[in-house]
Amino acid sequence: MVAIIEKRDLRDFDWLTTILAISIAGFGVWQIHNALPHESIWTKQIVGIGIALFAFVLIVFSDYRRIIDIAPFFYGFGLLLLALVLTPLGVEVNGQQAWLKLPVIGQFQPSEFAKIPTVLMLARYFGQKKGGALTIRETLIGAAILAGPVGLIMLEPDAGQAITYFPMLAAALFLSGIKIRYVILATVTAALLIPAAWIVGVKTGKIKTYQQERINAIIDPESVDPRGYGYHTVQSVITVGKGGLSGIQGDSQTSQSVLKFLPEPQTDFIFAVTAENTGFIGCISLLLAYALLLSRMIAGAREANERPATLAIMCFATAMVFQIFMNVGMALGVLPVIGVPLPLMSAGLSALLTTFCAIGFVVSIRMRRFVN
Amino acid sequence: MKLNNYTQNVGMRMIVIQIVAFILLSLLGVRLYFLQIVQGDYWSGRAENQRVRLIPIPAPRGAILDRNGKILVDSRPTYNVVLSNEPLKTIDVSERVPEYARGLNLEPDFVAERLSLIKKQNDFETMVLKESATMQDIAWVESHNLEFPELRIELQPQRTYPHGKMLAHVVGYVGEISPKQLESDTYKAKGLRPGDIIGKNGLEQSYDEFLRGRPGYRKVLVDSRGRVQSEIEVVQPQAGQDLISTIDLDLQISAEQQLEASATKRGALVALDPNNGEILALASAPSYDPNVFTQGSKTPEGRRQIAAYWQDEKRPLYNRAIQGQYPPGSTWKIPESLGALQQGVITVKNSNLACGGGITIGNKFTRCMGSHGSPPLSYAITKSCDGYYYRLALKMKIEGLIEMIETFDFDKRTGIDIPNEKVSQTPKSWKPIVEKREGRWSDIRTVYASIGQDTVVVTPISLLRAVASIGVKGKMYVPHLMKEFKPIGAMGEEGSQSYFAGRPGFGFDRPEPKLIPMTPEQEEVMVKGMWGVVQPGGTAGASAIAGFDIAGKTGTAQVAALGKDVGAKKDHAWFVSFAPAFKPEIAIIALIENVGFGGSHAAPAAKGVYETYIATRYGGVPPAGASIEPKLIAKR
Repeated sequence: MVAIIEKRDLRDFDWLTTILAISIAGFGVWQIHNALPHESIWTKQIVGIGIALFAFVLIVFSDYRRIIDIAPFFYGFGLLLLALVLTPLGVEVNGQQAWLKLPVIGQFQPSEFAKIPTVLMLARYFGQKKGGALTIRETLIGAAILAGPVGLIMLEPDAGQAITYFPMLAAALFLSGIKIRYVILATVTAALLIPAAWIVGVKTGKIKTYQQERINAIIDPESVDPRGYGYHTVQSVITVGKGGLSGIQGDSQTSQSVLKFLPEPQTDFIFAVTAENTGFIGCISLLLAYALLLSRMIAGAREANERPATLAIMCFATAMVFQIFMNVGMALGVLPVIGVPLPLMSAGLSALLTTFCAIGFVVSIRMRRFVN
Repeated sequence: MKLNNYTQNVGMRMIVIQIVAFILLSLLGVRLYFLQIVQGDYWSGRAENQRVRLIPIPAPRGAILDRNGKILVDSRPTYNVVLSNEPLKTIDVSERVPEYARGLNLEPDFVAERLSLIKKQNDFETMVLKESATMQDIAWVESHNLEFPELRIELQPQRTYPHGKMLAHVVGYVGEISPKQLESDTYKAKGLRPGDIIGKNGLEQSYDEFLRGRPGYRKVLVDSRGRVQSEIEVVQPQAGQDLISTIDLDLQISAEQQLEASATKRGALVALDPNNGEILALASAPSYDPNVFTQGSKTPEGRRQIAAYWQDEKRPLYNRAIQGQYPPGSTWKIPESLGALQQGVITVKNSNLACGGGITIGNKFTRCMGSHGSPPLSYAITKSCDGYYYRLALKMKIEGLIEMIETFDFDKRTGIDIPNEKVSQTPKSWKPIVEKREGRWSDIRTVYASIGQDTVVVTPISLLRAVASIGVKGKMYVPHLMKEFKPIGAMGEEGSQSYFAGRPGFGFDRPEPKLIPMTPEQEEVMVKGMWGVVQPGGTAGASAIAGFDIAGKTGTAQVAALGKDVGAKKDHAWFVSFAPAFKPEIAIIALIENVGFGGSHAAPAAKGVYETYIATRYGGVPPAGASIEPKLIAKR
């Protein structure tokens, strides 16, 4: 799979995207250090970035077309890993069996890795489409591709991870000629159905009290028990707000994460840590970096000379935007607390590796845009 | 661009995705602006509030000393296991109960009670779980630091009463402020907080404001579970002022011993300096151990002991010297006699009244204990002639008695500087009630009142105050236990937040006596009569001390109907006195409950204290001039 590195390849290598991704990840290491200065998680993250870059280089210099060709194999492998999680090989953490512990390799989260084969599978299937409006059959097949991993992830259960899969399918369908009226219809239906489902759910007791509390914590964080389910939201908002314009610049004496007011500061709430330490300036810079990275990815999709390549990049980009919005929205107290990592920033090898693989595809595709 | 090969305008759709992405990121930016720029200060304050905690450093309470500087009450440092409620808020505390009970050797019921109490308190409050922790307790808490972050060891001053039961009724005790007291205006204004230690009785309560220091605090950084991470600032407390009391420990010991040695071991004995009202000894028996209240109120055994005190039929918590209301019996004749002289019912020259062996009112004969002919006042006092006083009171009329009662403040509290003093009940308070109930005040009631029975009940302290004034030209001082408060220096830098101003020393605030109008002749005849009481032939003749004249009056107050002085309802024995008779330095009242004749029970108790006084003050040899030849008296 290792392609011969030619001069032309290097000339077309997308340095900007690569440096952006590494910079954000490096910034993330700093924030992980700010979150837990007395623990060595930040050094592990540096090792993780090293491993991820190795995978990144491997993918960049592989021919993405071949990889997309054998997508069903990866997809099957992904499903196998997800199934293994549910066997005694899986490790349960906080009531979720989301981890797989294998000898030599160690512990990892297949639900992260499975995103790559799922996107490749979607790109492969919808990439063969020749034209015309999206048919119901195509829609159902797309949904079936998604149903495999999402179904297994829901068995863990890890609703947060499962949700991040849907934007991939949405992007694939949207770019495969779904009629605009269906998009509008779906949007309006969702806008009406979600509140309706909420009301019915609460009335019938299908939505559990803790789930209600999590939503209420968003609507009115001060009125819910600040020590109960609203606690995470309130503490995150305090942490973000405290940062002010330029942040506390790493003063760990009084930081919300060091004093353990902020839960999970190195993973789910890494954005709150960023906000506390670097303030508004740091946060806006980070969001701009993400915007730039996404622009580069979408530009890459635009320039790709094949439909599967375009679709793959757009699926990755959409999933990434969605994850950023979910994670930061949670940290800012506008979305419920759902454990979704912030791409490139949150500590954790699985997520880091997956994101760098995805960006590896983008760079690989960009590098080969003139080849045909 | 190959995109146009595909249908449905893929290029446009990609732009739509990009625009949606940017809108979402912009929304996050707007929210960030709102939280960090608009509300930044507010959230910053919230963060500071939850991480900065003030831990009070209790101030050592001022010591209480006797007049010679001997320690009566002190504080010593003890280690307490303190429970803070913050880490407990989100957990089920019932699991903690057996753990604490085992680890700290406490009763599970008690632990459960403390835990439910602390859960109800405001955030960040603390409560003592175990006082006077042992080394094992401390080791257990330290080794379970991670498991039970809510427990910590604090060094706190613990009030100790080295003399135990002795002095309990004088010094009182301290305890945690009760929720009810916290609500009351007196304590609210002083800025007291739950868990603060305040005086709850005796001098501890009366002078709490001065004895109590001003607590300092440690400003610390805590984590989300309330564990202290580092110290930001320490403000040292300002100790309370030391109180020099008027008590003479030697006399106090003697007084307590006298009560202990009495037949019923129940009664009161008070000694004071008639020249200024300073109380030298104040004993009430039975007594209680204040240490039980300060140390034991948080342990189950301590609570049982306190409950036992409350249920004890002998009422150890009740200060008989200031709360006990007893018929004064014949001791009442002293203020009554002076009242009669003042009102002109009798005069110094012409004070003879018939004894008659008793008196007949209507068809009822009320007897005198002897047959005294027609004695003058001093002889009537010496022999305690009831017949004389029946007639004297009838001449004074009830109005005259009431006037006397007002003169000697028997209708008021004496104003002693310890709490819960009771007011004597006299014909002044009873007359309207009796008249309402019986239609009139009958002579027989006046007759009974003349010998301190029926409608007359007085507190020992009020009687002592009245009688003591007779030897000092009618100067009736407010009896008091506080001699002086020592000054205390300022703490911290002036102008800084942690500055505590120094507090000056001061003395008793009501040193001026009430003056009872009395001529030297009236005083002389009174003292002469009282002197005779403690001379051979007087009712307390057996209690005379050679070389140290005592002027006194015995009393034997009926508890049951006349002549049925048996068993538990035996008469109360009284002796009220001052000495040396013609130049008093000390006045003593002794009351022994239900023992019988005053001359044989109360007078010897007083004598014992006088002897201690002579021994400690004069090395056992009465001073010159403390006794006058009987012949000289006769000449006067």
